[in-house]
Amino acid sequence: MSLAELQKMLAEALVERDSIARAPAWTDRAARTLTGSTRMTPVEQLDVYREQFWWRHVACVAEDYPTLAALMGAEAFEALVTEYLEAHPPTDFLLRNLGARLADFVEARRPDDPLLADLARVEWAFIDAFDAADAPLLDPAAVAAIPEDAWPAARIVLQPSLQRLALGYPAHEMRTAFLQQQTLSRVQPAPTFLVVHRNARDLRLHQETMDDLAFAMLAHLAAGEPLGPAADALAAETGREQEVQARIGEWFTRWAALGWIARVLADSPM
Amino acid sequence: MPSFRARHHIPDLGVGVGFRPKHAEDVLDRGGSPDVRWYEVISENFMSPWSASRGPAGGRPMANLGRLRDAYTVIPHGVSLSIGAVAPLDEEYLARLRALVDRLNPPYFTDHVCFCRATGLDLHDLLPLPYTKEALAHVVERVKRVQGAIERPFALENVSSYLTYRESEMPEWEFLAELAERADCGLLFDVNNVYVSAFNHGFDAEAFIDAIPADRVVQIHLAGHQDRGAYKLDNHGDHVRREVWSLYERAIRRVGAVSTLIEWDENIPAFDVLAREAAMAAEHRDRALGAQRSASREAVP
Repeated sequence: MSLAELQKMLAEALVERDSIARAPAWTDRAARTLTGSTRMTPVEQLDVYREQFWWRHVACVAEDYPTLAALMGAEAFEALVTEYLEAHPPTDFLLRNLGARLADFVEARRPDDPLLADLARVEWAFIDAFDAADAPLLDPAAVAAIPEDAWPAARIVLQPSLQRLALGYPAHEMRTAFLQQQTLSRVQPAPTFLVVHRNARDLRLHQETMDDLAFAMLAHLAAGEPLGPAADALAAETGREQEVQARIGEWFTRWAALGWIARVLADSPM
Repeated sequence: MPSFRARHHIPDLGVGVGFRPKHAEDVLDRGGSPDVRWYEVISENFMSPWSASRGPAGGRPMANLGRLRDAYTVIPHGVSLSIGAVAPLDEEYLARLRALVDRLNPPYFTDHVCFCRATGLDLHDLLPLPYTKEALAHVVERVKRVQGAIERPFALENVSSYLTYRESEMPEWEFLAELAERADCGLLFDVNNVYVSAFNHGFDAEAFIDAIPADRVVQIHLAGHQDRGAYKLDNHGDHVRREVWSLYERAIRRVGAVSTLIEWDENIPAFDVLAREAAMAAEHRDRALGAQRSASREAVP
């Protein structure tokens, strides 16, 4: 058997969901390739690796979604993750990315309970915010130097760690309760606009809710639109032009104070 | 010809431990422990999950890595290079590893004699290779390519294993020695892995130790393992076992004063427990080196 055939056989054995130790097809296949030992048959040896494959990957995903696991219960969560891994087996050398698509998977698999997908999105947002790229904090002197008439064309560069989530439930409240070791109870549906971010100064993670208008403005800015056109687009979408104009200054001040803004590009459009 | 260690100025760092986020405050804010002289990090934990458009990873992990590097020698230890896979070497992986190695400026970097990738999957396990001439030629060629890409001394670790192949044509120690010689690389000698594999496959652990090319060993790994009846599992989840300490002393008597690392990845204890394990390693190391010196004196006519 060539090196390539041998490695293919091992990979195929590892992804078998159930034990292969009693499977006749695998018993024969393993015996042709492996020696076994005085205590273990060839297929039992192979099954050690299969068992470790599932244990390691399920544990890895579970580590990223502790609140979801607590809400679903250990058994149901493990079954879900096992199905997820069958649909999305690991193809990246970084285990860090293994659970990246769990929220979409849950949304498709459990349309009866949309809270589960929302909760998964919240937990993954914290993962992404945790190790996102660094960026400096906004320099107040640079902001002060921007001429008044340059602001409409200015682009707001947000911190790379900023994660924006539009949810049907305040699922972040459940995560907070879980981390504080409070009793986990289901939250009621309510449109929720959440930002998760990492403070550039102390590297701690934070969450902040906002109203729909502020959230929509943030989305325009995140898309790289200059301040003026972003406000115009938002006003046109919502029909709330006066409110948009009245609140722009307040939003900028607050988001800068929260450390969400890295830079203002006033002179050189991207 | 000078030994591998001498040619590459491989330092004896004493005893170190694997750096884990759980111990960041103990190590970085509270001064660590005098019993822990250096740290190893898992390379892939610092190899940036981000796309080119989003920039490199940052936040707490990279900030901690920077502080660790400023205070200690940090050796990157990979688990996903997949040096023995038939799948092509991952150029993106090598580029990220190069960036990490350049950032840490370590005396060498390490990975395992195994394969991790097959049929398009990353299996995240250190799967053993058959010890054949075909596998040997394949790995030698790839080690040379990795050394060319990273431009830094490279050492490979013997893995623990739970199966052996009918195809194998030589014992593991012969494969390692031949690999190190032909690829001109170093060896990271894991004594616990030797003990685990010797139990699982019924070979003589001491014969393994006695056969490794001593001058190519740049580092020794120690860890705890789990007894599962029919086999032992290398889970890095406990204290180093008595039998492994004994093999460690034998290894030190054979290879001399090389850096030693305590690995602890499951049921990770408080930092002071880990530091005590490092202190114990230093005691065994000193005793073995003392015995080695005595033996050398006696050998002088």
